Amino acid sequence: MEDLVGVTARTLYISTTATILASLWGIPIAYLIASRRLQTLAAVFEALVGIPTVLIGLLLYLLLSKQGPLGGLNLLYTPTAIILGEAVLVTPLIVGASHRILKASIDTYGELAASLGASRIQAMTLALAESLPGIASSMAMAFSRAVGELGIALLVGGNLKGYTRTLSTSIALEVSMGEYGDAIRLGAVLLSLSLGFSIAARLLGGRG
Amino acid sequence: MIEARKVWLRYTPSQEWVLRGASLTLAPGRIVALMGPNGSGKTSMLKVLAGLIKPGRGEVLYEGSNIWAMDESRRLQARRAAVYVSEKPVMVRGTVMDNLLLGLRLRGTEPRQARDALDRVVEGLGLNGMLGMDARRLSAGQAQMVSIARALVLKPRYLLLDEPFSHLDRARRRLLAELLGELRGEGIGIAIAGHEELYTLELADSVAWIESGKVAMHEPGSVLI
Repeated sequence: MEDLVGVTARTLYISTTATILASLWGIPIAYLIASRRLQTLAAVFEALVGIPTVLIGLLLYLLLSKQGPLGGLNLLYTPTAIILGEAVLVTPLIVGASHRILKASIDTYGELAASLGASRIQAMTLALAESLPGIASSMAMAFSRAVGELGIALLVGGNLKGYTRTLSTSIALEVSMGEYGDAIRLGAVLLSLSLGFSIAARLLGGRG
Repeated sequence: MIEARKVWLRYTPSQEWVLRGASLTLAPGRIVALMGPNGSGKTSMLKVLAGLIKPGRGEVLYEGSNIWAMDESRRLQARRAAVYVSEKPVMVRGTVMDNLLLGLRLRGTEPRQARDALDRVVEGLGLNGMLGMDARRLSAGQAQMVSIARALVLKPRYLLLDEPFSHLDRARRRLLAELLGELRGEGIGIAIAGHEELYTLELADSVAWIESGKVAMHEPGSVLI
């Protein structure tokens, strides 16, 4: 089994980067949906929450493979490919959760700020500031989804030792080799990470 | 003077009109009570007067100028003359003091420049003991007092209060009624929407009765009868 610390650190790096990346585009989309009342777009993102991860992996594989349109970037079987795939995977989750939080915040705090004489930008800033705990909670939820992801990591990461192997792909490998003890140890680490961030999500959301 | 002139309002194109050619004037040093059945458009009228909602038709005049014909920055300056206080008090994260200073912060005013107004409001509404409290842990009545105080700290020329007595106990109602009476004496125009007829009508110089999206003006005594 590859060094547990190394695999865990790589898993954390990939999941954290994917969550941050997804937030960078997901939160502005969520704000747009909330402020412009784009109900159809909201419904599309909510429908995409349940998309099978293996399907995203396949699409990304076709895009990044040598014959694919992005093949020239040489990203297939790299951590970057997994990051991109996981970012796509958790984007609907971040958009879906954040747009509801932002909508409630814009309605409540946007009007409060405007009634106290704030400009549109100040009202938007206050609404965003007040929704931060909720948004952080949706990010923690997205992280906990990304950290245990398998289909994308296998398809576009290739499970390369010391390079693209994550906790979930390590578990799959150990099980395929009949090393159940190692698989359980890895599973315990994965469960702790996932649970830890889920609890953090609940606590952060509760503060909103 | 703030004037809503023949205002029509609906929230979405498929909805019924909430206000149908309603007109209302709020003059300095006067208290107008907005009364009418539930859903008659009292809150909508207050928000229109505050410049928070653009009516579909009609004009909203601040000192004679239509605010919806102004550019955004002029409209912002104009509508700062009035402050709307919602029936449902909203507190931002932080202490009561943080909330009292919120409007000043948003307007870029130094709190010490508003020291007099702050002291007076805190004293007048009996908020002395709660300034350091977590604003989100206040009772409904306390939060209502804080949200009214937050508006008064801004020293508005017009105050638009939506059901301000609804969550208050008798002692606080009396405190608020006294303060509103004083403010009227200082030339502040006040509109009060509410069902709390006794306190509202006791204070009111005139009553705007809203029904089916239209406004009819009455003397306070005639409504009591």
